[in-house]
Amino acid sequence: MNEDELHDLLKQKYGFDHFRAGQLEVIQQLLAGQDVLAVLPTGTGKSLIYQLVGSVVPGLVVVVSPLISLMQDQVARLNYQGEKRVAALTSQLDFGARQHLLNHLQSIKYLFISPEMLSQDAVMTALKLVPLALFVVDEVHCISTWGPDFRPDYRSLGALRADLGQPRTLMLTATATKRVRQDILRQLRVPDAHQILHSVNRPNIYLAVASLSDEAAKRVRLQQLVTTVAGPVIVYFSSKRQTDLIAEWLRDQTGLRVAAYHAGLSTEDRFKIQQQFMAGDLDVICATSAFGMGINKADIRMVIHYHLPTTLADYVQEIGRAGRDGQPSLAVILYVPGDEALVRNLNELTAATPNEIEQDYQRFIRRQEPTDEVSQVLQYYWQHHATVAEVTVLFATRTEAKERELRELLRYVTSTTCRRAVMLSYFDEVAPAHDAACCQLDGEPFPLETLGLIRTVAAVTSQASDWEKALARLFLPNS
Amino acid sequence: MFSDYVLFLFATQPRRAKGIFNVLRGRRTVSTLFAGLTYGCLDQLDSWHGVPLEKFIATAAQLERAGDLVSPSPGYYQLTAQGATRQQTQRALRYQPVAMHVFQTTDVRRFAALSQLALQVVSEAAHRENRYYPVTTDPGVQAIVKAWFRRFHGPTLGQTIYEGLQAFLASLPDELAQIFVQSLTGYQFPGQTDAQLATTFKRSPVEMLVIRRDLTCRWIIWLGQHQTDPLWALLAPLVKASPVSSSAQRTFQDFLQAGDLEMISNRRHLKLSTVREHLLEVAILTPDFPFDRLLTKTVSQQLTTIFTHQPVLTSWQFAQVQAVMPQLDFFYFRLFQIMRCQHERG
Ligand SMILES: [Zn+2]
Repeated sequence: MNEDELHDLLKQKYGFDHFRAGQLEVIQQLLAGQDVLAVLPTGTGKSLIYQLVGSVVPGLVVVVSPLISLMQDQVARLNYQGEKRVAALTSQLDFGARQHLLNHLQSIKYLFISPEMLSQDAVMTALKLVPLALFVVDEVHCISTWGPDFRPDYRSLGALRADLGQPRTLMLTATATKRVRQDILRQLRVPDAHQILHSVNRPNIYLAVASLSDEAAKRVRLQQLVTTVAGPVIVYFSSKRQTDLIAEWLRDQTGLRVAAYHAGLSTEDRFKIQQQFMAGDLDVICATSAFGMGINKADIRMVIHYHLPTTLADYVQEIGRAGRDGQPSLAVILYVPGDEALVRNLNELTAATPNEIEQDYQRFIRRQEPTDEVSQVLQYYWQHHATVAEVTVLFATRTEAKERELRELLRYVTSTTCRRAVMLSYFDEVAPAHDAACCQLDGEPFPLETLGLIRTVAAVTSQASDWEKALARLFLPNS
Repeated sequence: MFSDYVLFLFATQPRRAKGIFNVLRGRRTVSTLFAGLTYGCLDQLDSWHGVPLEKFIATAAQLERAGDLVSPSPGYYQLTAQGATRQQTQRALRYQPVAMHVFQTTDVRRFAALSQLALQVVSEAAHRENRYYPVTTDPGVQAIVKAWFRRFHGPTLGQTIYEGLQAFLASLPDELAQIFVQSLTGYQFPGQTDAQLATTFKRSPVEMLVIRRDLTCRWIIWLGQHQTDPLWALLAPLVKASPVSSSAQRTFQDFLQAGDLEMISNRRHLKLSTVREHLLEVAILTPDFPFDRLLTKTVSQQLTTIFTHQPVLTSWQFAQVQAVMPQLDFFYFRLFQIMRCQHERG
């Protein structure tokens, strides 16, 4: 297929006139039979790449994805675009439904699957019976112990891919340092893969950090930001409880339409909040980082971090949800010195000392069940015949990597020089020269006016309280 | 608050907490069902499915600390004077469901999922919109609704569904009708979450959960009375004729024909104890159970005599029976208890 034909396909299937940065190049490489590692910023339409390749190459497109919620979002999005031959093979499916799906793989075009599910014999057997158009590993940085979101079950993917006959492979991530990229290629055993890298820089997002004295000051600042800066706004928290509490407080204080969004909500509630946000029925969403993985709202004007993100890589992903329309947007971290303790606590939850590792191995030998989350992770290694020494080294590497990630993050947070330069240096990139629209330097006010980000008070349309009218609007087209 | 709804479950007489909680959680063992019968809460069977037992127990302990409940013996609770007063005031304040008994015979949760998607599909279709995010990505739910829609779609489906809902909602208090409509998902209308509805209607989130659940049950009853409504076709496969499990139902049919429990046990390859459990289940869930076919007049009279001075039948002990009638199986004692309970309630 030549470039014109691909443009025609893009127009006819998806209604777009232009490819976004990186899309065309990746598609062409894949169609030429190359394996590709693509580092593309969030919001570049990564799913369009495998959809388009899938519509040209016969066979099944297998997409390995780390989170069930992410898979569900992608299935919903493909459904929305009119593609019905989509399924997600997750632990949520009961045995019967799983069997049915595996027996009918030839009627499916896109299969989303977790690495854990993929490693099951029945699944591999079924997959070997159908031709594969493309093997996609989404969030592929999860494979690297050097990366911020390491997932042990991603480590089996290299062997599984080989077992599937080394299908044409697309590795996708939004953020990967050089070290992580090398690790990806080694782990997935694709040393010759073509790398297509795009800058993680989002020049239309103004970067800021508000250093505050305490929690109370943080709240005041949050309230001040959401009432003076243009919305819609996402506020990120690191705990469910805080998300709920602050959302309620903010709603009471400001009268704005604020909702909380986190993994503790039912699927129905998550759907409703997402759709309300998409439809512009909400001013502020308070969320844990689970939110936004599948959200594709172009006009988010501000992303606030009430708590520190875990890593700079996560931060770049999360603020990447702002300003997808290319218009000026704002990213603010609210920082109270000592906040990093929270990140350290979270990190410690998944760490283990050599002694603990040894003890857990003894537990495994005694055939006892894993005792906690760390134990679950260790269980994976024991089942894969890793030695205590190997695992100890691995965990030490992880601890070291996490501490380094935190240091990098704090370097950004406490920087007195251009923040964008600090952020991009982490990704081995060089920043453009600092200017007034780049980032907030110490003591400078927000250039809200220049950025066009002053909040204009929008009239909030109240929900009609007449249920008969609302019911009529739902089901009778002309009312 | 959840604790209010837990408080409503207790009385001034001691009640076995686990028994009641397991009724609400939908456990169908004979001892749980029996607890439900004697405490008069069988109509709530399965209505709090999925809530862990630990949460109930922790809430009861919290009510004890607050001085509303007291535990006369391990595992039992009864209302204190303060608890009784609070129960009364909170009853008047909190929404009291009226249709939870529907859970006994209908897969309410499944219908809630199916109907939510079905109404969305109809609403979007009525506005000729075919690009939208389905409210659920559950492939099983999608397949059933798709088949249903294929069967009923047409230019007047939106109108028909509207008229059905309009008629149903008009039969409800205005607040409930509003909550029902505001929670729907459809064309340019994502719908409100329980938490948002709770804020709007000044109810607690748990109360809103109870209201929404009860509304689904009320709607199910309404559809059962209006089986020409297209949505009845989605509901019908989820409704059982009786709350009794199908295996117990079969045992009961065998019993009505053959009468002899040993024979049924041999023919069905079931243990005699299982056959008896099945019959107890039927007896608990069927007010007009033919007790006299199992309890002879003599046995009934003897048992009546033993407990003449014990009107509260939860206080009866099998040991009292064994002292007088050592040969009598526990089965007949329990059956007699059930009979007396059914008569008191009937
Ligand atoms: Zn700068």
